[in-house]
Amino acid sequence: MPKDHDKDVYPEPPSRTPVEDRQSSLPNPALILSKLFYYSVDLPVTAFRDIVEGIQSGKRSHYYHQKFRRVPELTQCQEGDYVCYYEAEMQWRRDYKVDQEIVKVIQERLRACQQREGPSYRQNCYKELQQFEQVSKAFQSRYGDLGAYASARKCLMKQKERMMAEQQQA
Amino acid sequence: MVGMSFLRTAAAFTARLNPLKRPCQASNLLSRTVARSEQVVVRHGSHGKRMFIIKPTDFYDRRFLHLLKYYIILTGIPMAALVTFVNVFIGESELAEIPEGYEPEHWEYYKHPITRWIARTFYDSPVKDYEKMMALIQIEAEKAEMRQLQLEVRRHMREKGDGPWFQIQTLDKNLIDHSPKSSPDN
Repeated sequence: MPKDHDKDVYPEPPSRTPVEDRQSSLPNPALILSKLFYYSVDLPVTAFRDIVEGIQSGKRSHYYHQKFRRVPELTQCQEGDYVCYYEAEMQWRRDYKVDQEIVKVIQERLRACQQREGPSYRQNCYKELQQFEQVSKAFQSRYGDLGAYASARKCLMKQKERMMAEQQQA
Repeated sequence: MVGMSFLRTAAAFTARLNPLKRPCQASNLLSRTVARSEQVVVRHGSHGKRMFIIKPTDFYDRRFLHLLKYYIILTGIPMAALVTFVNVFIGESELAEIPEGYEPEHWEYYKHPITRWIARTFYDSPVKDYEKMMALIQIEAEKAEMRQLQLEVRRHMREKGDGPWFQIQTLDKNLIDHSPKSSPDN
């Protein structure tokens, strides 16, 4: 099976299943259904996966995550140095993608927390809610309405407008 | 009343003709007669009487669907078999940390073996594309700079006139024949 996500990174709170104290002699339908699922779906699928892994054993190749060096940003480029502009633009685009993924991860955490807690999520998931609010506000203020043709220059101009607005307020 | 009887007979007639709506017609209730059943109880040794059912042609529709299925399956099955064999016998790669001092090839950044093969065989490495783009930008920047310089130099030479450009060649002074004007009284 492809490895499940690392449980230490997104820790779930310990489940609070009460101790079972059955007093009726009727068969437990949940147990029956779970056993049915196990024998009809889980076992065949796991067996197939084990066979396939047996065929593939040992010849696994590896893939890596690419590491990019940091290059001077748009503010550190000389005027008219178009090559520097290009490298800064590419770096900004990679950072934009990374920030989008960060927002998605925070969203996923909030969604998982809400699913776990049920109706009382607003109270129990307070940390995740605050984190999500902070991250999405930051993302909106930096990359918010740049649009489909966003570029490093437009983002810089947006930052300039933001700083000007802050100065006017202060 | 006469119209009613006419309607009744017309309803009974159409009910008798229509094979689908046989039981319990309004005509039965109105006239309180049992409908004359035309279903003769005969047991054939076959599927019943053969009917020539008249309906619009479905030749073109069935031909289209047959050809569609044929052409989709023609390459669909080999592709499906290929992808299945690759997934079962070769399998996807595992994520690993980049070892010290090792520069992975550009196809080693992908997971699925077919993607890796495509990246290895057909595509240039992204580093190469990046460098190609930077080279193009450098060339264009140099061309733009050259053009600006040329305009500047042209302006200067036009103004001052002491440069090699914008000079019109005149005749050599030694070639001029001064003899007609050399003596005053001629």
